[in-house]
Amino acid sequence: MNALKLHRILEQNTGLLIFGILFISSIGGLVQILPSLNDETLSTPTMNTRVYDAVELTGRDIYIREGCHVCHSQQIRPLVAEVERYGPYSRSGEFVYDRPFLWGSKRTGPDLHRIGGKYSDQWHETHLLNPRAVVPESIMPAYPWLSERPASAAGDIQRKMQVLQSMGHPYSPEDINNAEAALQGLTEMEALIRYLQMLGTSFDASQADAPMEGM
Amino acid sequence: MAIMPNDFWSGWIIVITVTSLLGLAWLVLSIYLLRSGDDQLHEEPVWDENLQEGNTPAPLWWFWLILAMMVFSVVYLMLYPGLGSFQGAFQWSQGGQLAERQASYNAEFEPLEQQIVSSSYEALGSNELAMNTAAGIFEEHCSACHGIDARGQAGLFPSLSDGVWQWGGMPAQIEQSIRNGRNAAMVGWLSALGGEGQLQNVAEFVLSMSDGIDAAHPGKRYYDRFCIACHGPNGDGNPVLGAPRLNDDVWLYGDEIGSVRTTIIEGRMGQMPAFAETLDDQQIKLLTAWLLARNSAD
Ligand code: HEC
Ligand code: HEC
Ligand code: HEC
Repeated sequence: MNALKLHRILEQNTGLLIFGILFISSIGGLVQILPSLNDETLSTPTMNTRVYDAVELTGRDIYIREGCHVCHSQQIRPLVAEVERYGPYSRSGEFVYDRPFLWGSKRTGPDLHRIGGKYSDQWHETHLLNPRAVVPESIMPAYPWLSERPASAAGDIQRKMQVLQSMGHPYSPEDINNAEAALQGLTEMEALIRYLQMLGTSFDASQADAPMEGM
Repeated sequence: MAIMPNDFWSGWIIVITVTSLLGLAWLVLSIYLLRSGDDQLHEEPVWDENLQEGNTPAPLWWFWLILAMMVFSVVYLMLYPGLGSFQGAFQWSQGGQLAERQASYNAEFEPLEQQIVSSSYEALGSNELAMNTAAGIFEEHCSACHGIDARGQAGLFPSLSDGVWQWGGMPAQIEQSIRNGRNAAMVGWLSALGGEGQLQNVAEFVLSMSDGIDAAHPGKRYYDRFCIACHGPNGDGNPVLGAPRLNDDVWLYGDEIGSVRTTIIEGRMGQMPAFAETLDDQQIKLLTAWLLARNSAD
């Protein structure tokens, strides 16, 4: 058959034309998306990657609420300059319990994927209350209200954990039952710092196998 | 797309990609090769006297462009990973590329690193290149706490330029501070002291220690009882515990009575993070030489 005849047939049959358009535009997805959805290596936790506990999850939600991800990325690319500056590049398996993931695309401030353990809690508190107190030229906004609000007010933690559990995050019933108690007496500041301090710590560079791992 | 869950998905990608490429090639070629004499214009209805739908192919430059793109994609898929689990002729991978670049980066600095290993702290301290490098490392990793000029800041992070070392000023001690970090631990003493009066007395005594020990000071009793074990009878401090010297004018947390009182009431837990994983031995040595040089210059 000749392409012009095919063209004519398609042009004269709206239903066929719609089907043709859908078929052609789905090819990219069939090749790119469908196999990825079935690729277990992308959904297997890397090394010590674990679910966020109640406090870290709350801290993470505060991180999202305050828009920290707008200025900070959480993915270290496999480039020498980044690895030298931030530490081991990010593995896909480290993000399996991130819903939504916070990779980000804009770095107004530095990448935070391996911020855990880099500074002390005290530094983070001082910095979040007023970034200029420790980095004089910083343009990061201050977040003084974080130390005034209780962490338990940042949303229904048990409900959040139940939803995540229904998506396959392995929370035990005790985890969920004890969630509210875990937040008792903590401020949003403390929860956020707990989250920052565990970011990127589940990866142990000394145990990393072949450089291809997780890519 | 290098790691495929199984052969099925790899085959899936290959079949769809190759079929689409062939289909596209057929479409483009048949439009251009068969266009003459076969545009069946006579079958099209005529509207408004002279409007008739045609099937004129796009201009030729477009044909060459899409042909070039198809050739490019075939060549690309032969050289680089893309067709399912086929690695491509170059055996390229992101991780492999990083490892390669890292190796050449390391090789580039190997001679310099050797030089650092074999140099003394004094020699490094008077080497301008080494000191500039050290200042850069300090700015990147340490200045957020110790301040850009290493003079301390926020009343929380100590000055590293005042010649006073809480954890000891020998090169090995400084390297130890950087490599393994330091966790100071002084608990609060308010309840042990027994009340506001005693607290105020001890705080005043501590502040007066730099002028010599006044044996008759009302705070000395409590100091001798609770504080001597770490800070020493004369307030000389103890670098093993990180207990600072109290009989000088250098204050980690400020020289006002208020901050001394806060220290005694709440305790202090100064935390210096460990850099063993972030910095290598040469970088730590450079930083130590830089700190030593700064302190001897002052
Ligand atoms: C307007 C953009 C902006 C926003 C929003 C922002 N930051 Fe920052 N952040 C920066 C900049 C710029 C720096 C670098 C200067 C500094 O250290 O203050 C920085 C630095 C940091 C650092 C230190 C990183 C390092 O490796 O030294 C941390 C931690 C941090 N931000 C956390 C946060 C958190 C948590 C939030 C949300 C509560 C946040 N940031 C929101 C711009 C931003
Ligand atoms: C998170 C903040 C932080 C960072 C980052 C940091 N330090 Fe420190 N550092 C401290 C604190 C706090 C202390 C004091 C610990 C104490 O209270 O005993 C300290 C103590 C030290 C000491 C011991 C000082 C003494 O008087 O004995 C040295 C040396 C030192 N730091 C060097 C460095 C170097 C070099 C870097 C960069 C590689 C660095 N620090 C990064 C917070 C930090
Ligand atoms: C267990 C040992 C220990 C005991 C006992 C102790 N201290 Fe300390 N003290 C420390 C350490 C360690 C630090 C440094 C804390 C830091 O760096 O965060 C310190 C810091 C201080 C400082 C702050 C110094 C500065 O430069 O700002 C003061 C003041 C002080 N102590 C007073 C006292 C007094 C008064 C007592 C007795 C009531 C006491 N200490 C008992 C270990 C001790």
